[in-house]
Amino acid sequence: ASLDNARHLSSLLRAVHFQDHATCFATNNGLRVTVEDAKCIQANAFIQAEIFQEFAVQEQTVTFRINLSVLLDCLTIFDTSSLPGTSTALKMCYRGYGYPLMLFLEEGGVVTVCKINTQEPEDLLDFDFCSTKVVNKIILQSEGLRKAFAELDMTSEVMQITMSPDKPYFRLSTFGNAGSAHLDYSKDSDLIEAFHCNQIQTNRYKISLLKPSTKALALSCKVSIRTDAQGFLSLQYMIRNEDGQICFVEYYCCPDENITEEM
Amino acid sequence: GAAMKCVIVGAHLRVFGRAIHAIARISDEFWFDPLEKGLALRSVNSSRSAYAYVFFSSMFFQHYCWAAVPQPHQKDKQLSPPCKLIIKSVLPVFRCVNVLERNVEKCSIYTNINDHHITFQLLCKHGVVKTYNLTFQECDPLQAVFAKHMCPNVLKFHSRLLADIMVHFPTSQEEVTLSVTPMKVCFKSYTEEDADLSKTMLTEIQLNPDEFDYFQIGVDSEVTFCLKELRVKPVAFSIEDLVLEASFILATLSDIDKKTSQQQPPGFTPQQERYQWASRVGEGGGKIEFHSLFFGAVSCKEKDATSHSFHSLATASDTEEDFGNVQSSPIL
Repeated sequence: ASLDNARHLSSLLRAVHFQDHATCFATNNGLRVTVEDAKCIQANAFIQAEIFQEFAVQEQTVTFRINLSVLLDCLTIFDTSSLPGTSTALKMCYRGYGYPLMLFLEEGGVVTVCKINTQEPEDLLDFDFCSTKVVNKIILQSEGLRKAFAELDMTSEVMQITMSPDKPYFRLSTFGNAGSAHLDYSKDSDLIEAFHCNQIQTNRYKISLLKPSTKALALSCKVSIRTDAQGFLSLQYMIRNEDGQICFVEYYCCPDENITEEM
Repeated sequence: GAAMKCVIVGAHLRVFGRAIHAIARISDEFWFDPLEKGLALRSVNSSRSAYAYVFFSSMFFQHYCWAAVPQPHQKDKQLSPPCKLIIKSVLPVFRCVNVLERNVEKCSIYTNINDHHITFQLLCKHGVVKTYNLTFQECDPLQAVFAKHMCPNVLKFHSRLLADIMVHFPTSQEEVTLSVTPMKVCFKSYTEEDADLSKTMLTEIQLNPDEFDYFQIGVDSEVTFCLKELRVKPVAFSIEDLVLEASFILATLSDIDKKTSQQQPPGFTPQQERYQWASRVGEGGGKIEFHSLFFGAVSCKEKDATSHSFHSLATASDTEEDFGNVQSSPIL
């Protein structure tokens, strides 16, 4: 695969970088990078083939596990992130099972070659989240949530999400050392693009698991929040890159088992 | 107990937020005291050397209502004990103070002493409502030990004047001596006697009585206080028609202390000792060796129609009961 601007890849990978290791899946459709933690949370970054200048996969699917921190360090080795107009060109090769991932990075005539060892892919969770199982769904402009997530009371163990066809419509709550805090979004708010809530649902999620999603939120322009009957949460972030192309990052989270009583 | 509900709108949101931030520089905790006439906020720092008091009269709010809620164990209709709130928990409510009124349409505060919660509710733009339910502890009231009306020396001046004076002192300057006579007021850098004067920069600023809005000097005195707390700039509100008063009281070195210890470098007492001395005066009562510097944020702008009522509010808070009785008010 080759990419004129490595940032198209690195910024998306950063949005899911909350663990050192990730599993990469490559198909003819593109690349998917998955990070998981505690068997409760999973993040996926999708970079479709169209984003790349060149993308070819020999077999049906290619899968390997890799150290994401190292991969990101290599992709950003020239550290051009702060300079607009300059970019690092990237070429990636993977010859197959047991081979390392080769990266060729070029910036201003300087070329760096990186060889990153790959590992056996591990089994991943399948949240089985398809549209037919969705109970409640809200699409929000990301700017409406950004401050809220940045200001979350981290002394609270959980973040509680309430979605309802009646008031409070959409509420994010924390229960920290100082007391409780609630952030209510009216369904008529101009920040809400779509509001499809059929029944009232209140679920709690471990705040430490959701906090990393703030990175994806920061990059995105829109976010869709969906829950299913079991209270599993799906957050899908629509991200527009420097060239105006659209990519997606999603986070899936299990509800917290230690639910005491609803507030 | 007491129940209070108030609503803050418009530019006063920013004033309220800045008051909270100013108090936050004195201490991590403050006393939230809803009174019949308005809302009082007080705090004291850990070394008991600085005390802050801000009073928002009911006129400051778009809406203010207060009701005493009789409690079964209270014999008479006593003022409810104030609640102590942790500043860190309140600061997030008033984050980004400068743009507060751009994003927030109004802030409602509800308390119910019996409930042990204070609720701050912000109505923001885009149909977003932020609600914070903060727990508080009930505690003994906090009052500084002094009586305004018993002070022989009183200086009142606009906060900007004070800020202009303080800006001339280098940031490394820890202590400043204020000396007053009926003819002039002088702020100068405080140095210990054995300090190497050839290496120090000394600053001295003299002011005439007419630079003050109110000038009363009964006793020539000299007091030295810690500059760091003064730099809090608590009174630098930019809103002009204030309906509030803020007082920050700082512990000072007594000049008597300095005179009696002439052999030693004057005022060279470790930090702890000086402030302990201040609280001893409180308990003993009697002769006041504690000179306090007062500065109030009462604006003197007379531009609008509410000015006459505003002035009466200013004097009312001056003679407020809280500051009445020196002997019985303990420093906590």
